[in-house]
Amino acid sequence: MNKILIITKHELFACLRSPLAYIVLMVTTVVFNIFFFMIIDQNREASLREVFLVMEFMFVFLVPLVTMRIFAQEKSSGTMEFLLTTPTSAGTLVMGKYLGTLAFFSLMLAPAFVYYLIIECFSSPDRAAILTGYFGVWLEGAMFLAVGILTSSWTKSQTMAALTSYAILFFLYFSMSFISYVSGPMEQAVRHIATLSHLENFAVGVITTADMIYYVSIIVFCLYLTRLSITTRIWQ
Amino acid sequence: MVRIQNISKYFGHACVLSDISCHIRQGEIIGFLGQNGAGKTTLMRILTGYLPASVGRVEVDGQDVQKYPLAIRRKIGYLPEVPPLYPNMTVTEYLRLAAELKDVPPKQIRPQVDRVLADCHITDVSRKIIATLSMGYRQRVGLAQAIINDPRVLILDEPTKGLDPIQNLQVRDLIKNLGNKRTVILSTHVLSEIEQIAHRVLIIRDGKIIKDGSLSHILSSCGHRGVQLRVKGEYGMIEKAIRATHGLNAVGRVCLGGDLYYLDLEASDQLSNYNELALQLNSHSVEILEIKEKKKGLEDIFIELNK
Repeated sequence: MNKILIITKHELFACLRSPLAYIVLMVTTVVFNIFFFMIIDQNREASLREVFLVMEFMFVFLVPLVTMRIFAQEKSSGTMEFLLTTPTSAGTLVMGKYLGTLAFFSLMLAPAFVYYLIIECFSSPDRAAILTGYFGVWLEGAMFLAVGILTSSWTKSQTMAALTSYAILFFLYFSMSFISYVSGPMEQAVRHIATLSHLENFAVGVITTADMIYYVSIIVFCLYLTRLSITTRIWQ
Repeated sequence: MVRIQNISKYFGHACVLSDISCHIRQGEIIGFLGQNGAGKTTLMRILTGYLPASVGRVEVDGQDVQKYPLAIRRKIGYLPEVPPLYPNMTVTEYLRLAAELKDVPPKQIRPQVDRVLADCHITDVSRKIIATLSMGYRQRVGLAQAIINDPRVLILDEPTKGLDPIQNLQVRDLIKNLGNKRTVILSTHVLSEIEQIAHRVLIIRDGKIIKDGSLSHILSSCGHRGVQLRVKGEYGMIEKAIRATHGLNAVGRVCLGGDLYYLDLEASDQLSNYNELALQLNSHSVEILEIKEKKKGLEDIFIELNK
């Protein structure tokens, strides 16, 4: 556990030392602010439902930029050899790096909590729906991070890692667009796979076991595959 | 201390190491020699447990590297060919991280960091960002992380790469001192370095050990190259004397004026040739002014073995 914390701290500082991290933080805050004011101004509702959906859309593009370096950079610079020749297991390494990145992602999301405070000042919003919405967006981001970490463990190239992440996240995000072309069990499968159908429940204040299982199982599965890819050194 | 048993390593169909076996004792400094691509780095990676062997096993202190990877890694310090550094960290931050990851007790971290900073002569750059350091400093920061946990086995892949002559000397002395208590396995292309540091040499070619032994043993077993002669006499008689001596060939001749000659002879066998040569020269009325045995250095042997 102590070793996980050491790596978590190291990973968080590594994120914060990267100039790209500040660009991502700035873009996230600016874009979220613009959409927040546009949506509130247009709808005149004390709800953040549509803001959460915009956040989800933005994270599809931003999360691979955060995760692409996590393992790919370690491998290309040779520090992976250092990490894996210290008495640190692959599982500890993956968990530490994941938690460090998740901490950074939480920092990215934290300024968005101001929107709730603003709405609270001027109206009486459905607090449960807003809080579950934030939780849903955070959970979905956590899932995107797990996908990004997995693809970063497959290659030495950060560009390849980001592109592979985009391919997987686009598939998960945009699969709902094809729902009208399929029917029966296929339609059900698409609904299960698509991230959009799961986040919508959170955004209206509903947390279901199915949605939780969806996010948690993908996170666990991706982290397991990452550990496997590191122990088998498939990039070599 | 380190026992390598019938190690082979394949990358796809390519055989990088083939049936390597050797036993490295505690306190021994062993040098791996070989051309680029001979398999030295792969062998070192297998010793650290970073890469698994396709066939065979490695034991460190009686424990199998693949079965007990974490226990083994606590006993090993490893400096890869490219120093594994985080350019955005300061030297001290990096060494603290290395100490934490290598299970150095929290109270010992600071003294250990100070010790390796002093041992590797990098105290003056301890607060500098690694990205701003020269190649020589980076190499020594890499070495410092390898010894931060006071390992029993030190594996160094080209530890003096990129160092200037003074830094080179300092690092060599450091390795020699470390070798007093620990097992040190190092690879290098600088043969003079091996001659100065290593107790034992292992020459690898195409993934196979082609020579294994102490430096003195290797030098004496393949060390005779020939003889240099300064003689006075008729050249025809000199030639006859050389031809009559078994296993000697003249490879160079310089007339020093009159009937004085300088000769460079190649020997295929042992010292007995030279005694025989002296007798033959005497019997052919050639006066020997100087006779000097030429011995092969490690460099000559290395080049010859890799031809």
